Amino acid sequence: MSTLFSGQLLFAALVVGSIYVLIALGLNLVFGTMRLLDAAHGDIVMLGAYTSFWLFTLSGMSPLLSMLVAGALSAGFGAAIYYGLFRRLLANTQLSQRLEGNSLLLFFGISIILQNVAALCFDTTPRAYTYLDGIIRFGNVAMTGNRIAVLIIAAVLCAAAFLFLRFHIYGLAIKALIQHRQAAAVVGVNIERIQLLSFAIGFGLAGLAGSLLSMTEQITPFMGFPFTVAGFVTVILGGLGNLTRGMAAGMFLGFVEIYGVALTSPSLHSVLIYGVFIVVLFLQSQGLLGRRPS
Amino acid sequence: MQPVPIRTSLIFVAVIGAASFLPQFGSEYVVAVALSFAMWVALAQSWTVLCGMTGYGSFGHAAFYGMGAYVQVLTWGTLSPWLSVPLAGLVSCLFALAAGYPALKVRGPYFVMLTFGLAEFLKFSIIGIEATLGQFSRLIIGAPSPNALYLAMLGLAAAATLITYVVSNSRFGYGLRAIREEEQAAETIGIPVARYKLTAFGLSAFIPGMVGAVMAMRLSYFEPSQAFDALISFNIVVMAMIGGSDDARGPLLGALFLIGLSELLWARAPQVYMIVLGALLVFFVLFAPQGLAKQLFGGARRRAT
Repeated sequence: MSTLFSGQLLFAALVVGSIYVLIALGLNLVFGTMRLLDAAHGDIVMLGAYTSFWLFTLSGMSPLLSMLVAGALSAGFGAAIYYGLFRRLLANTQLSQRLEGNSLLLFFGISIILQNVAALCFDTTPRAYTYLDGIIRFGNVAMTGNRIAVLIIAAVLCAAAFLFLRFHIYGLAIKALIQHRQAAAVVGVNIERIQLLSFAIGFGLAGLAGSLLSMTEQITPFMGFPFTVAGFVTVILGGLGNLTRGMAAGMFLGFVEIYGVALTSPSLHSVLIYGVFIVVLFLQSQGLLGRRPS
Repeated sequence: MQPVPIRTSLIFVAVIGAASFLPQFGSEYVVAVALSFAMWVALAQSWTVLCGMTGYGSFGHAAFYGMGAYVQVLTWGTLSPWLSVPLAGLVSCLFALAAGYPALKVRGPYFVMLTFGLAEFLKFSIIGIEATLGQFSRLIIGAPSPNALYLAMLGLAAAATLITYVVSNSRFGYGLRAIREEEQAAETIGIPVARYKLTAFGLSAFIPGMVGAVMAMRLSYFEPSQAFDALISFNIVVMAMIGGSDDARGPLLGALFLIGLSELLWARAPQVYMIVLGALLVFFVLFAPQGLAKQLFGGARRRAT
């Protein structure tokens, strides 16, 4: 029982939580501005992880550097599928009537494609590399350097996202679009450009999160899916489209996961995550969580 | 209930009759393919009763299939296999009623996510239970012959098609479609929305449970991560999207399409098969949201996703 109150678990929960915060932030941007349910978000995380893995193993590039490459590539991919697929979906009045459902199916199809293309190209053996894995001790808490790096970078990225949404003109425009689409258009927000930007930032953050993860986790073509589920739990828990509460919810889920597994057993990990997922969806339907933006 | 057109019923009886003689002259391979075709028809038809008609898309039908298989393997040796099959259907149905009562209050895409979450939750719970029991896979020894199982599956496919046909032409079916078009309006004009939705959910779980029980005998082993594989749910959704109608024709087209594709690709290049499936889903959502039935028959009613 005494291990429950150790700094070790707290640190683990913070690391997992900060990854969830990053993933959910991107998911929330795409949903908030366009009402699209991105079921392929975790697969962008997977692509980001592979980018860092290959750049590290082939050219020795530090993941702290290659995360910028992964972020840029993911953002570019986001922009490409926005132009290629989703502009059509949003513009077609018949399809956008059931926009959320259709986008879920569409993203699910993309997710299946990405997973299996990755499995074809990189095969399914789990891969990993070691970087900054020296152990650093603070008091009686042992941490690896890469986990500390994950925590710090995630915190910086969240702070940057927060400031961007608060003060930058495009950040304000994103928030305006989340609050009221038509009103935003009336006051002169360029909807098209903001949607493209949301896609690029959302996907870019997922790619960055993947790079960070690649330092600490094994990389497989199917690693992304649990993060999609965790992202949805976080976003629904924090209120769809509500970015700041989403950050808090991501941390909360990290704590639930780490302490839940510590209290029960690691084999119940998936049962726990899906249990939370179900409960959160029930609560959402009862209107007990944040209301959706109109 | 409208009277059944004579031509349709004659074709139906003739096809089922001809198909039941297949084991007499078809090779083992042909019977195996026909069995999986019948399986997908039965699953897709059951899905359509709930999802095609009410618009409540289920991404979790693997749960019913898996439950059925689990019931079969648990009762193996203590109960006659042909008694276990309807029992499996009943258990799946009761499970659907229990889960559907709260779940059907959740709407739209959240219902889709919820059904998926419930199915995965059930899968990992049963994996956990089996692991604590020390059972990582269970074998079925002395199962009925493949030909007998083929006939059973053919019967299930016929029953599922019949159920979808009857429901889609009944007062109940029109009620379900009204729920899809506008749930609140349906409630206002006096359709018992909650009861209809729950009945449709229970009905759509019954046949998949029996299909799972028959397939457990066909595969002669049970392994929870395979019996509850999310790929089963995904295949059903893609078939329904490709077929695309809210009556019995769409699922037949979808299953035909899928069985062709999987015979061509699944054994040789499973990843390519999955990529094609994903691409088909993207294509049908964007360019042909009404599916093949609409393209071929024209008159099919608008379906929802």
